[in-house]
Amino acid sequence: MTDTDLTSTVTRPAAPPPPAVAVRPRRRRGVVVDCLLVLVALAFITPFLFTLVASFRTSGDIARNPLGLPHHLTIANYRTSIDQIRYGSSVLNTLLLTLASCVAVSIIGAAASYPLGRLTSHLSSMVYRLFVIGLTIPIFVIIAPLYLLMRDLHLLDSRIGLVIIYTALNLPVSVFFYTSFVRQIPVQLEEAAALDGCGPLRTFFSIVFPLLRPITGTLLTFVSLQVWNNLVVPLVFLQDASKSTVMANAYSFADPHTLQPTQLFPAALLGALPLFLLFLVFQRQVVEGMTQGAVK
Amino acid sequence: MFRRRGRYASIVLILPALAVYGLFILYPLVRGVLLSFTDNTGGPTDAFVGLKQYSALIHDPTALQALRHTVIYAAVVLVVQTGLGLSAAALLSRRPHIRRVVSSMLLLPALISPVMASFIWSYLYRPDGGIDTLLGDVGLGVLRQTWLGDPSIALYAIAAVNIWMFAGYSCVIFLAGYAGIPAELLDAADIDGATRWQRFRKVEWAMLAPSLTVNVTISLIGSLGVFDFPLVLTNGGPVGSTNTLALLIYRDIFNNSDFAMGAATAVLLLVLVVVVSSAASAVLRRRERVL
Repeated sequence: MTDTDLTSTVTRPAAPPPPAVAVRPRRRRGVVVDCLLVLVALAFITPFLFTLVASFRTSGDIARNPLGLPHHLTIANYRTSIDQIRYGSSVLNTLLLTLASCVAVSIIGAAASYPLGRLTSHLSSMVYRLFVIGLTIPIFVIIAPLYLLMRDLHLLDSRIGLVIIYTALNLPVSVFFYTSFVRQIPVQLEEAAALDGCGPLRTFFSIVFPLLRPITGTLLTFVSLQVWNNLVVPLVFLQDASKSTVMANAYSFADPHTLQPTQLFPAALLGALPLFLLFLVFQRQVVEGMTQGAVK
Repeated sequence: MFRRRGRYASIVLILPALAVYGLFILYPLVRGVLLSFTDNTGGPTDAFVGLKQYSALIHDPTALQALRHTVIYAAVVLVVQTGLGLSAAALLSRRPHIRRVVSSMLLLPALISPVMASFIWSYLYRPDGGIDTLLGDVGLGVLRQTWLGDPSIALYAIAAVNIWMFAGYSCVIFLAGYAGIPAELLDAADIDGATRWQRFRKVEWAMLAPSLTVNVTISLIGSLGVFDFPLVLTNGGPVGSTNTLALLIYRDIFNNSDFAMGAATAVLLLVLVVVVSSAASAVLRRRERVL
């Protein structure tokens, strides 16, 4: 901005343009509604904020005044909780399970989706529909026979068994995401690769799979949420607490009906902590991962 | 690509997924139905007993109760959760300044697991816990309840936790739907002098049909198979008032090793899911087609 511009703005009489007068009350009302909505949203997440504050209080302090502000803060609750729900090993187990399941679900799912998205035969659309059926089946429908199967295969109480189950459970959503994405990729790239003598398998790994990166990010956030938060699979298919996950050990070792809030709240927050960190880092992908179906 | 190289490559690519999915999902699905006609209790052998498990199932008041609870639970969650999500999305759709921050806040509960949400709410619901204290502090002490201890309230109290967790998720899905409505359409409605309600009823509600389908489907699948919330919050009690089908199946396997009964209950759950979700999708798809 030059000097002349500046002076001209300053010297110009500050007469507001006529429409502004009409707009202003409406805009002010808008700001009030905005603030109200933010307040309502804050009230909505109050249980979190309350849990967060209370997790640093002493139990006597909470009993005297459950909703009050803390007199002094302590991290002793967290120390107890970490031991009680075996947090260290549980987190490590859950991380490994989540990672392995994510790798398997994305590679196997993408590999199957590539031909399923390209082929137009009757058979391939039937296979695709077979996968999509799995989207609507709750695990409880198959859990009894699945237990017997895992027992017969000697995959009970085994981390590999759990990875297989999570992979199988998440293949439908993986095939569903990838197939619709493959259909949007232009064929020309693959045709060029074929002309250069590149076979379908190599085309998949060196050309198609890298192109699927955006949808892979979305899928993996979704799968991580599923695996991390799942309770019933480790509860039924693992017996050994040292192999078990955060949720299963929290459920087994922290009884919400008898525990003091000072033991319960740190457990609740510790269980959610890794996902909150994920959410902070990948906020956009998380929102997309969770709403992907809506645009399809 | 595949036409030129024959079928060999496509089979190699599809096979791993189909094998895992077929062996660990489709095979148990079929075997579960067969299992429900046996007396399997986890031993090495079992015998075919025809419809014995099913006749035990329909004469078992606990199972019928659990079926009823599952249906009520799914209905309450479907209506309230979708209703709240839609209202929030409708309010936020025209408020770009706060849309992002508010929808992120609303989505927060959906990120924690049901176990963790249940931990938090089991304290809030306690007789001397957060909610009763709050009601007392604001002078509404008469509204105090034994939230999870009263058989007529407990199921709804659990549904409320479910709704608290996922209403924001529903809102975000509707917001994605709102983002797909052409601005000209809304402007046209405004220019024609439509009231806020008319614009919602005639334009937005119709254009949101696909996101409504997604919301209804997700909420139905989740709530018909509900397990974590009632397990952690009440373990089915008091006096069985929060038993759901999933909880019964879990107990059949885990506590009683009654795999045949678990499988029969699972078939009941499967029928319920198939009937409800195909009815819902028939209605919703017709709405989308009208569009």
